[in-house]
Amino acid sequence: MKKRYAKLGLAGKIVVLGIYLVFMVFPLYWMIITSLKPRNEIFTLPLQYWPKHFTLDNYVQIFKISKFHVYLGNSLFISLVAAAIVLVVTILSGYVLARFAFRGSGQLMMAFFVTQMIPLFIGFSTLYMMMSKMGLLNKQASLILMYTVGLVPFCTIMLRGFFQRIPASLEEAAMIDGCSRLGALYRVIVPIMMPGISATFIFAFVQNWNELFMAIMFIDRESSKTLPVAMNSFITKFDIDWGSMSAATVLSVVPTVVLFAICQRFIVEGLTQGAVKG
Amino acid sequence: MKLKLFRLNRTQTFIFLCLLPTILLVFGFTYYPIVKGIDVAFRNYSLFNLTDVRYIGLDNFKTVTSSAQFGTILKNTALWVSISLVLQFTIGFAVALIMRKSFRGRGVYQGFVFYSWALSGFLIGIIWRWLFNGQIGVINDLLLKLGLISERIGFLSDPKWAMFSVIVANVWYGVAFFAIMLLAALQSVPSELYEAAEIDGASSFGQLRHVTIPYIMPTIISTTALRVIWIFNFPDLIYGMTNGGPAGSTHILTTYMLDKIVFSGDYGQASAIGIICIGILVLFTTFYLFATRAGKAGDF
Amino acid sequence: MKGTNRWLALSAVAALAAGVVSGCSGSGDSGGDGKGTVKLKMIESLTSPARTEVIKKMIASFEEANPNIKVELISPPLESADNKISTMLNSKESLDVLEVRDVTVKQFVTNKWIADLTTYTDAWSGYKDLNANSIAMANYIENKPYYIPYGLYQKMLFYRKDWFDEKGLTPPRTWDDLLNAAKTLTDSANNRFGYSFRGGSGADGYIVDLLRDFNGANVNTDDAMFLKSGATIFSTPEAKQGLTLYTNLYKDGSPKDSINWAFAEQVQGFVSGATGMLIQDPDTIDPVKQKLGEGTWATAPMPVGPTGISHYKVGAAGWGMTSYSKHPEEAWKLIEFLSSPEQNAIFTKTAGVIPIHNSASVDSYFKEGAYKPYIDMSNDPEHFVPYKPETDYKGFGEWRKIVQQDAQAVLLGRLSIDDALKKWDAYWTNEKQQGK
Repeated sequence: MKKRYAKLGLAGKIVVLGIYLVFMVFPLYWMIITSLKPRNEIFTLPLQYWPKHFTLDNYVQIFKISKFHVYLGNSLFISLVAAAIVLVVTILSGYVLARFAFRGSGQLMMAFFVTQMIPLFIGFSTLYMMMSKMGLLNKQASLILMYTVGLVPFCTIMLRGFFQRIPASLEEAAMIDGCSRLGALYRVIVPIMMPGISATFIFAFVQNWNELFMAIMFIDRESSKTLPVAMNSFITKFDIDWGSMSAATVLSVVPTVVLFAICQRFIVEGLTQGAVKG
Repeated sequence: MKLKLFRLNRTQTFIFLCLLPTILLVFGFTYYPIVKGIDVAFRNYSLFNLTDVRYIGLDNFKTVTSSAQFGTILKNTALWVSISLVLQFTIGFAVALIMRKSFRGRGVYQGFVFYSWALSGFLIGIIWRWLFNGQIGVINDLLLKLGLISERIGFLSDPKWAMFSVIVANVWYGVAFFAIMLLAALQSVPSELYEAAEIDGASSFGQLRHVTIPYIMPTIISTTALRVIWIFNFPDLIYGMTNGGPAGSTHILTTYMLDKIVFSGDYGQASAIGIICIGILVLFTTFYLFATRAGKAGDF
Repeated sequence: MKGTNRWLALSAVAALAAGVVSGCSGSGDSGGDGKGTVKLKMIESLTSPARTEVIKKMIASFEEANPNIKVELISPPLESADNKISTMLNSKESLDVLEVRDVTVKQFVTNKWIADLTTYTDAWSGYKDLNANSIAMANYIENKPYYIPYGLYQKMLFYRKDWFDEKGLTPPRTWDDLLNAAKTLTDSANNRFGYSFRGGSGADGYIVDLLRDFNGANVNTDDAMFLKSGATIFSTPEAKQGLTLYTNLYKDGSPKDSINWAFAEQVQGFVSGATGMLIQDPDTIDPVKQKLGEGTWATAPMPVGPTGISHYKVGAAGWGMTSYSKHPEEAWKLIEFLSSPEQNAIFTKTAGVIPIHNSASVDSYFKEGAYKPYIDMSNDPEHFVPYKPETDYKGFGEWRKIVQQDAQAVLLGRLSIDDALKKWDAYWTNEKQQGK
């Protein structure tokens, strides 16, 4: 009797997972299929669920005409550098906020939390002037700086959660052994925290990778543009260039998926540690 | 500044220096521009005439809240946030529960759960607009082929369907967040707790209710609170799919705000809406965290 | 170890600062580089890949003719271009030449962002060669030339000749004809519809033009949201007839989805063979030509209202100069170069706009079949009446959104025709009081 229930349960699980998988995968499938169709077959009715003529033209097109590799490189550079800086900054702040109770710490956390609620455009013109005065306009540094700014509050909150789950006794022991606090943090705690740090890193990377608005506003030069901007340019007055768009979409997912694959184990373990506390 | 620094003891100096970069970045590049930007909400600040940006008190707030569609917009916002949240959470939780135990192909499965998170908002919007298209959309085509419908549905042109459609796209995008966060939390529940519950003869539903959920409650509270804020502030998808239409039936506060910028160039009114948004969210978060007894300042 | 923690933390801050400043490309300043070379910055607004290519080619020939001037072209994505341009102008970010459109010129002038070009046009021999519409559009604000159009827009009717022949229809002459033709052509079971309806972004122009046509000769063409009597064009029984026709056109002759259609969907609908009629600008000729076989489509003058009058507006876009440009002489040189008959001919071919020079209008260009309705319309001033568009009203931007949303509500039966007209009437009565 119990076994039959178990079997039913398993079947139910498979059905749920299956439906969800189809729901999740279908749009990606449709993008991949579209990217492999010749341009004139993308919109022909009846719709083709499998291309009649396979072609890599769309991919060739985005590299040859749209200089996709340049944007890909820019996006990778900016996203990775900004995510790395975010980590350096928020490991320090997250650690301190997890370990020490001091006057104003609660208010500071609240201030970080509130940043999540603020629509970007409020204060954007001031920000633009600041960038202009700092001479950062049209430089990738502007995006690196602003992506860092955008991520620091949330990543501090996230990393603080991870730090709280690591017993303070660990670094205290290291400090007794003669390490400074910072030494203990980097030599003892950070290695244990690698999972949480990878998770934060990926989160930061994905946010940077997808950012469109500031990338349009701050960067003029063709050679400095990022991937989302280049993809946004496939939307023209007459139509959306789905040939290029689908190929670019498929390729733009690859770096993130590779990063997930590398850190997949880290992420789940990492979030395990932080998420309980939040 | 320097003097004060010297008076701090070693630990205090350490705390101060560790927090310094974060504080500089957040206050210098987020709060400073925002304080200046908030000023705009009380001015007659329209791109059509920036030679006359006088203070007009609360007029911008009055104008946007007295608009005939403001009530609908609030209702839409509530629908958009709550239904998206409930669906994202429920599906995310279910998937996380099922995926808790390792099975073959779980890694690959996780990849597919994850990837939608790696697309930018505008892209998700246009992809789903295309899938939902009333003439050449593949969803209509599939439903026709499966015999579930006999006539194409105007998913984005029929007010009865428009909100449903944008929420489906949002659920597609946002389940990943909950699935991953909750899965991580579930894996941290000590197995002894389940063993004890089993000895007490608890059913699997009972285990879920009395062991699992209480244990991961902090995660549930913090993720849902964050998610509410993010969904609330996520106009990209609706803007890409329906532009708030048809006839304003998918307009939410943040798309309304975008409209004020794109069509009217009225940064004063847009800022006013932005401040209303922040107000609502601060109220909500305070109430929510208090109600869920996580209200201790900073502990989220 | 003593003191190292502070030092380490400080170095982290320094590393952060260094990371922000270094490792990134080039300098962005516009201006001279010491050798007497002038660098101009130019931005376009209606970005599209093919057009950008042509502009780049034109710039290359300009640079060849003026070796001491270098031009950097900024091509932001279409959807965010206007936002980017106004942000740049508002913070006086270095910029010399920019794309100015009939819908943005008022705003640019009011904010003193763009320069009055009178001193340059006075000295420019080519200015007199511009056709009347181009001169009028250039001088639309304050009667001063604030930009030099690169081309003109004007709407006409595209229709599927093969479908019309099949049903024995002739091209519609009046709006009623158009509605009837749309009904006859519609066969929703076969996914075929009469008319490429515009219900989404940009619907405002279609609605207002239609209501003007119904108001006939009573419309004040110098202030075209109003009648000669001073009342708004929405206050009359004719307006109600017009809006009723508009509603029926959607219900009986257009795809359901078209309630959301903007430019792209409208054109796609026509070229994909879903709809049989389309009202659009000449830039649509090229995509239509590319997708539909020769002989399957044709163009016709705009339909007229019940009293035989059609009101049309000429739209324009062109090149202007920022008011704060550090190199106005060079910037003008560029604008003059782009506006020369040779360069303009290259540009208008790709952009699909009506050329700005008199010489060109009698050129082979207009003799081509698809453009013929423009000649017919301008040769028949009794029935085709130009008007000054309402783009210079402060509330114009807001209006576009309001009318689009209200019209959608009317089409969905959520707002009555009377209530919509009442609301619009009140809006424009108020606008008139507020002044431009």
